[in-house]
Amino acid sequence: MSSSVLSVISRFLNEYSTSTPNKLKLVDAYLLYILLTGAMQFLYCLLVGTFPFNSFLSGFISCVGCFILGVCLRIQVNPNNKGEFLGISPERAFADFLFAHTVLHLVVINFIG
Amino acid sequence: MNINTATGLISLFLLALVLHAQALTPSHHLSSADVTRLQAFLNQPLEDLESAYYTIVGLSKLGTQVSDEKGACQFLKSHHDPTNIDSLFFAAEASQALSDCEIPISNETRDLLLAAVSEDSSMSQIHHAVGALSSLGLPLASQEVVSALAARITKEDNVMAIIVALQTASRLSQQADLGRILEEIEDLAARLDDLGGVYLQFEEGLEATALFVTATYGLSDHVGMEPPLKEDQLVQLVNSVFSKKAWGSLAEAFSVASAAAALADNRFHVPVIVGTQGPATVSHRQPTLKIQVTNVLSRPLPSASVVVESARSVSSKNVVLKQASFTLREEVFELNFLDSKPASGYYDFAVAVAGDTRFVGSSVELKVKVSTEVGITNVDLSIVDKDQSIGPKSTKVAYPSKAKGSLIADSHQNLALSFQLVDENTGVELTPHQTFVRLHNQKTDQEVVFVAEPDSKNVYRFELDTAERKSEFNSVSGTYALHLMIGDATLENPILWNMADIVLKFPEEDAPSVVQSKNLYVAKPEIQHLFREPEKKPATVVSNAFTALVLAPFLLLIILWIKLGANISNFSITPSTLLFHLGHAAMLGLMYVYWTHLNMFQTLKYLAIVGSLTFLAGNRMLAQKAVKRISAEQSSRLAKYRSLR
Repeated sequence: MSSSVLSVISRFLNEYSTSTPNKLKLVDAYLLYILLTGAMQFLYCLLVGTFPFNSFLSGFISCVGCFILGVCLRIQVNPNNKGEFLGISPERAFADFLFAHTVLHLVVINFIG
Repeated sequence: MNINTATGLISLFLLALVLHAQALTPSHHLSSADVTRLQAFLNQPLEDLESAYYTIVGLSKLGTQVSDEKGACQFLKSHHDPTNIDSLFFAAEASQALSDCEIPISNETRDLLLAAVSEDSSMSQIHHAVGALSSLGLPLASQEVVSALAARITKEDNVMAIIVALQTASRLSQQADLGRILEEIEDLAARLDDLGGVYLQFEEGLEATALFVTATYGLSDHVGMEPPLKEDQLVQLVNSVFSKKAWGSLAEAFSVASAAAALADNRFHVPVIVGTQGPATVSHRQPTLKIQVTNVLSRPLPSASVVVESARSVSSKNVVLKQASFTLREEVFELNFLDSKPASGYYDFAVAVAGDTRFVGSSVELKVKVSTEVGITNVDLSIVDKDQSIGPKSTKVAYPSKAKGSLIADSHQNLALSFQLVDENTGVELTPHQTFVRLHNQKTDQEVVFVAEPDSKNVYRFELDTAERKSEFNSVSGTYALHLMIGDATLENPILWNMADIVLKFPEEDAPSVVQSKNLYVAKPEIQHLFREPEKKPATVVSNAFTALVLAPFLLLIILWIKLGANISNFSITPSTLLFHLGHAAMLGLMYVYWTHLNMFQTLKYLAIVGSLTFLAGNRMLAQKAVKRISAEQSSRLAKYRSLR
């Protein structure tokens, strides 16, 4: 049972490192960073308490928002999905990514207090 | 004439009837104290000619004289200036008011005065010249004066000038044609301001209004024509002129004195002031209603007679008295109202003053109170058992004695009280406003008050359920003094009667250990304000540790990116790329500045500027990149196609 899980994981990691283009690996690294940052913030909140609550919320929502936007960028830039996004070039996807981030940052900074 | 016009006419007639019935009566006049005060105010030491004029003539209008007539005459003779028309006027008029005072006049003075009568002089100058000539007994040409006045009226259209013209006209010969001047009275009356239907005055103030009254009645008396003022208008003028009881200047006081004199006795309209002597209350000890009828100077009117047209009870609307006349005794009109045997309460009297057709405001409404004494009868105090197993123990108490012994009531019993209130003089049952039953514990100073209510037969009943009411007594058992309080505005003898002592027994378990006397007026304990305590912050060590933990993944990201081979070798140094990156960096910097210094509106403003620049540059840059990518793809596809062939 555990061996099959391990073999699945190792197969997955192999496939990932070979067949994923470099650009996507960069985005994946960025997503991992965002994930870890959010996890650290959540851990702090669990251990130390929710004061000040608005700062915690804004920080956590910033991580969540960035993660989502990053995932959207990855989906749109992936050449395998070109058929799904006919009108959206990778440059356009990046531009959308930047604009959405501006709005997100504005809201987060407003709320961080 | 169809039904609509008929109903319209009937309603108009009724409206007129109602309005006539609500005739206005003066609400202000000069009482004797006011007249004395006015005289004292006018009686100022003589300093200059104008104030001397006001003092001397004002006092003469009120019927008194300056204390030192000879000294006043000397003052006039020494202070008047024969070359000044105003000075001559004041001196001449004042000397006329003093007995045996003559100002010597030279021919030049006379010529000066006569020359002033022309349409080139101001209205005030014409008035002073005519007044001086008239007071000094010098002849003047009335017709010339009239034409001069008429010409001046068209030039000087203000209120004071026209009043002065009226005053001037009253000094002229009766043969002169004063019709043109008389018409001005009606025009002036139209310029009066109506304040709430009670006051009628000029916006120029009290002096103008009072002088208008004086001038109108002076001229009307002189000419013999009734002034075109309606009764209501005159009453409103009276209210305006006499509502002010402290006068700002001698001129104002003089104008009020002149108006009062004009209204006290003239040929056409004499306002009548009707008032009661003392409070308008009638009782068995004081059965006569006393009314005083005076003029505006509070002087009695010799020809008046007073009749009460109807006396109507306010509560029952029955007419108790009709067409009864008052008897005059020593300047006071009296009527024994108790002869008509009225019940106690309030009555609306419609009083009419007759005797002279000149009387104005002669129908008056008075509210008269008839008070009586109350007696308590059929007092029955009993202790009733709740389940009525034992018969009630009742005690009869007679006012004003107290019940012998005390009654005991515990939680199974009710205290019942019944009594009747009768009018001592007529025997009629009364229902006064205040019928209270008060229980007072002498030891603890507790007091509980209840209301006794009458039933349909006007018998007052009160029941105290000891168990139900124990919260009001704080369940303190003990001896309570029972008082009965009877009061009303129409009672001459309000009653506070200690009827009996009641011992109330409450169940022991409810009694509080200490009864706090309800001291409402002692300082309460001070409330310490608790300031909002700041939230507990975690230790600095913890915060720093977590800051490091949160920033750590960034290092991981850099490491991963380097491992993956991220580079900036493709960075094309074009202006749009540079501008884009700078703009983007500026936007991120703006976010930091927003956090520290700015508010949303300022940030949006800067963001709009920087964002649009970044957008344009980025658009350019990405378009260039897209072009490069598409050309790279096309060339690789072309190479693949070629290699396939």
